[in-house]
Amino acid sequence: MSAVDFSDPATIAFLAAALQAAGVDGIEIEQSTRKVRIVVERDAPGAAPLVQTLQTSPGATQLEVVTAPMAGIFGANHPESPAPSSKPPRKVAAGETLGFIRIGSVLLPVKATQPGMLTGRVAKDGTVVGYGDPLFEIELRP
Amino acid sequence: MIEIVDTGPFNTIQDLGRPGYRNIGVTASGAMDPLALKIANLLVGNDEGDAAIEVQTFPFRLRFRETTVFAVTGGGNATLDGVALPPWWMQTAGAGQCLELRPSPASARAYIAFGGGVDVPPVMGSRSTSLRGAFGGIDGRFLKKDDTLRLGEPAGTLPADGLGAVPPAKALAEFFPNAPDGTLLIRALPAGEHDLFGADAERFWSQSWKISSQSDRTGYRLSGEPVRLPASVEMRSYGIVPGVVQVPPGGEPIVQMSDANTAGGYPKIAGVLEADLWRLGQARIGSRLHFVRSSHAEARALDRALADYVEDVRNTSQMVARALKTIAGR
Amino acid sequence: MTSSMPQPADRSADALAKQPPSTPAHRRQAHISTIGARAFLLEAPGDFDLPAQRRIWALARALGHWDDLGEIVPGMTNLLAIFKTTPEDPDAVTTRLLDAWERAESIDIKGKTIEIGVHYGGEHAIDLAELSNRSGLSAREVVRLHYEGTYTVFALGSAPGFGYLHGLDPRIHMPRKTVPSLNMARGCVTIGGMQTGVAVLTGPNGWNSIGFADLQMFDPTADVPAIMAPGDTVRFLPERIEL
Repeated sequence: MSAVDFSDPATIAFLAAALQAAGVDGIEIEQSTRKVRIVVERDAPGAAPLVQTLQTSPGATQLEVVTAPMAGIFGANHPESPAPSSKPPRKVAAGETLGFIRIGSVLLPVKATQPGMLTGRVAKDGTVVGYGDPLFEIELRP
Repeated sequence: MIEIVDTGPFNTIQDLGRPGYRNIGVTASGAMDPLALKIANLLVGNDEGDAAIEVQTFPFRLRFRETTVFAVTGGGNATLDGVALPPWWMQTAGAGQCLELRPSPASARAYIAFGGGVDVPPVMGSRSTSLRGAFGGIDGRFLKKDDTLRLGEPAGTLPADGLGAVPPAKALAEFFPNAPDGTLLIRALPAGEHDLFGADAERFWSQSWKISSQSDRTGYRLSGEPVRLPASVEMRSYGIVPGVVQVPPGGEPIVQMSDANTAGGYPKIAGVLEADLWRLGQARIGSRLHFVRSSHAEARALDRALADYVEDVRNTSQMVARALKTIAGR
Repeated sequence: MTSSMPQPADRSADALAKQPPSTPAHRRQAHISTIGARAFLLEAPGDFDLPAQRRIWALARALGHWDDLGEIVPGMTNLLAIFKTTPEDPDAVTTRLLDAWERAESIDIKGKTIEIGVHYGGEHAIDLAELSNRSGLSAREVVRLHYEGTYTVFALGSAPGFGYLHGLDPRIHMPRKTVPSLNMARGCVTIGGMQTGVAVLTGPNGWNSIGFADLQMFDPTADVPAIMAPGDTVRFLPERIEL
């Protein structure tokens, strides 16, 4: 079976529409040398989906995805410190607080699971996320 | 067990105080910001009125002798072994770790609660330090370096990664607004001698007052354009509560706070709503406040907003702890 | 700010003569005002005297049955009622309190009699000379008038266990000081306006000291922490007079 070409916008658009119709927020597809992640905006149907191509070829950096510890409203900053913490990419330590999940008046921390380079933030501030939803990516340097 | 490594003067053990003894002259004492005390306790799984440390002079440092769940709320910038904690936060410290609090610009007082609460003997139903009566807390005195404090039995397991509360200034912003220039707006009702101040009564409400350096847990002296009675008035000693705004002959008001005397004899111009006392308790020396005439209806709405917030923190933090435990067990 | 703010009370008779009509002595009805949203102060009309205070005691007893009250603090011919939660209708509270006041019959609390031995004069009697000057009486006469009196505990307040004692001979009334003594000792026997009392804490104090009593008035660990209670009778016994 031939590999699907994820560089083709038509393919992405087709998959995004299928995801939206199924009420799914995103999908990760792993091929032999790379991983593709497609995330659709739940609150903005029709908006361009976020497509990330993640290299998984041997010798390349490994990517750790930090996920939501519980369902709630995501925010990268504490509600009382409006100044954004330094933007990615930046080095993070294991256990470092990267963001927060707000559940009512309670805040849960989202912590780096591994030390590495914080390269991206997947979720947007103020969005409702579910348990296990991807929030941050950390590149693990070998 | 925890150990006080470094403290300024005036830091004490407080809970929600010992109301009920004003009729024998005993000051209620208790946290200047009871809301912050309650939230700190709820975050560590305690009853809302357990005893905690009130820090009003910084820096303050303590060391944990064993693994301990703690929370810091109110003011103060906290670090655990140099790593900053978010505001209004609960975390678990390991034996030997050091918690440090430095002052924060917005709030005057920080509360440190511990799982199980600070275990000092209750006196007349409270563990609050009564400085005036020299009892409660540790022998009725301020904390000092090298003091060690025993803690009670902590309640169940709490989220290992820590947990916080959305600070009330954010969560309740619509109920507790400040003026655009940052002046604290404090809701109050006219008190007994208000109308005797005549035209000066209006000046009391219309100007902004500065909290003078002669302010502490007993009360705040305010500076501004004096307000005076046109004629002296016979005053008979009457029972007072925190929030009463009295006007001594000099014309600069005094707001009585947690360690206030139980009786007073100065003319009283206003009384701060109970629901706004926690904000007054966090007001810093040198900051400004403006009294806003309020109503019982507004007071009830504010009481309800505060109660709802406390209940939400209580219920949601427990729910989150249970859910995380379930997830971890899968 | 010090831990104790001087609180003047009970001005002299001539200050009273210039009173506006909105003060207790000139009222015919009890008056209600608020402190914050939960505390209501009822002030008895008329003179500062024992009959008025007896009715305040009766009111305090009646209010003891109100479940919505958190605390009842009798003062000098007044009473502060502190509600557990903010009442919905403050006018209804005012009406309830006034009704309770109208129904309150004067009661005579059968209190205990407390005898307090006093060392008059000496190092703690820092204001005896001034009181003697002001009254035109000898120091010995001032002391005699003080220990010959029979006093009633009107209320407790200001400091733990401190009793405001009523019944001082008018010849030795003395206004409180405008500048308080900064470090008056616990145990000082003092006069403030038309009242007398025994200091229970060492610290700033605006009353005038004429002697010293070695008696602990308050023990926070006791079942009944304060020795005095409203309605008690107090007598001072001259154990020693040092002039």
